Amino acid sequence: MTPTAVLHSEWIKIRSVRSLYGSLVAVLATTLAVTVLALGTVGREQAERAGAEPVFDAFYALNFGQIAAIAFGAAAVSSEFLGGALRISLAAVPRRSLFHAAKMTAIGGSALVVGLVTSFTAFLVGQLFLGEHAIGLGHPGALRAAVGGGIYLALMALFAAGLTALLRSAVAVLSLLIPFLLIVPFVFADIATAVARYLPDRAGQLVLHQNPEGSLGPWSGLAVTAAWAAAALLAGWWAVRRRDA
Amino acid sequence: MTSIDVHQLTKAYGTTRAVDRLSFRVRPGSVTGFLGPNGAGKSTTMRLVLGLDRPTGGTATIGGRPYAQLAEPLRTVGALLDAQAAHGSRTPRSHLSVLAASNGIAASRVEAVLEETGLADVGARRIKTFSLGMRQRLGIAAALLGDPAVVMLDEPSNGLDPEGIIWIRELMKRLAREGRTVLVSSHRMNETASFADHLVVLGRGRLLADLPMREFLDSRSRPRVHLRTTEQARLRSALATRGLTAAQAEDGRWVIDGVTAEAIGTLAADEGIPLLELADERATLEQAYLDLTSDDTPFAASTTSTRQEARP
Repeated sequence: MTPTAVLHSEWIKIRSVRSLYGSLVAVLATTLAVTVLALGTVGREQAERAGAEPVFDAFYALNFGQIAAIAFGAAAVSSEFLGGALRISLAAVPRRSLFHAAKMTAIGGSALVVGLVTSFTAFLVGQLFLGEHAIGLGHPGALRAAVGGGIYLALMALFAAGLTALLRSAVAVLSLLIPFLLIVPFVFADIATAVARYLPDRAGQLVLHQNPEGSLGPWSGLAVTAAWAAAALLAGWWAVRRRDA
Repeated sequence: MTSIDVHQLTKAYGTTRAVDRLSFRVRPGSVTGFLGPNGAGKSTTMRLVLGLDRPTGGTATIGGRPYAQLAEPLRTVGALLDAQAAHGSRTPRSHLSVLAASNGIAASRVEAVLEETGLADVGARRIKTFSLGMRQRLGIAAALLGDPAVVMLDEPSNGLDPEGIIWIRELMKRLAREGRTVLVSSHRMNETASFADHLVVLGRGRLLADLPMREFLDSRSRPRVHLRTTEQARLRSALATRGLTAAQAEDGRWVIDGVTAEAIGTLAADEGIPLLELADERATLEQAYLDLTSDDTPFAASTTSTRQEARP
């Protein structure tokens, strides 16, 4: 049994469930829709303000796209915990570490491709609405933010996927992560900035700023998100290896 | 030849032992019926053999190797555990393709097993639209996918229509004739009697019996004959001289306990009493099974309820 064969099988699993590739498409669709709505209406006003951040504002809609990315990561893993699906999967691939690694590679890989397409498309489409305020990928920090935004989406999908393997339920993971992601920006941002900076979404989104402030840089911020994702994946791996199917 | 070997296998959940020091071997070339009341440990044993659950003690091997060490396990062992387990949003074709891809099984096998299980026409439909019987056929298709030497089926006839039940019975017999090792758990006694050559019976996680079906029935049968005669009074007195009494059954036949047809036939011939019908009564598998497991049924409120539960 080769890793390539198992990876292929995991890719067919994603491809063959409509709600899974649907949530991948939703990453792109949601981000584009919010980009068009936001920049198409208040984009110019925003750009004319003092202290406007043209790079960060261009990726505003990733906040919404990441919800779809998280839903994708959680659903791709939780489909194994419906009924006895995991038993069928582990009977076919009894080497559990290989199974977990292949699944996470398929999830991370497809989320990365979709994430990069999303982040570049959102940037380029958004600028169409900004007239003379529009910037290009050559603007300082723009290309880095576009690449980083794609990686960020993939890391958030993997973070959710790892947690789902641990908790065995997409509902549990989504009801934990989504309120967190929606509420933290409003509540935490001002009161506990020092701590909030190291939360997976806050840290990772530093890469979207032209000049991030504080102790973390753009890539080290993304590395913090990667560490969160890695911790979740390891916890998931421990659970998959240890538990009865 | 690939047999399933279970040795001192134990699985404890807290203080309860679902499987308790179980040892048996399932051999190639015959269909082994895996019997036992609900909760006796049949499904747990199957999961342990497949390496899905971790045993508390003991070993389970396939052809001498633990399942997890088989390079491409679906080419050696095909199992149907739970027909409901396939993801409802997939089609049978994609469900089987997932399994084939990981085990290096040619895509042509997917079409072959869909054909063999009668699902070729619905290969592109979503599994969630399937009846239980169709899901069961898909589970069997998945089990046959890798052309395995060992086939393990947990309650395969669940939800199948009468035609499907005949199909699965013939399939299992054919698989055994082809030299494969076939282990089939079932609650339906009449049905198990129609396909199994060998029996492994569990009760409360322990092995109650491991022997050929014929032997099992013989060991659980008490001699008893049925007969009809035109000379009732003469036969009754002839029996009485040998200390035997006959009871009359509702259909007009006589039932005599404690003798064989051979003895009664000789007696009647000696006395010149004409017999219209004479037969040994054999225990059915259901009777033999209930006799064996009556002490080992954890969830039975009374014998009566056990009997009803065990009926097909």
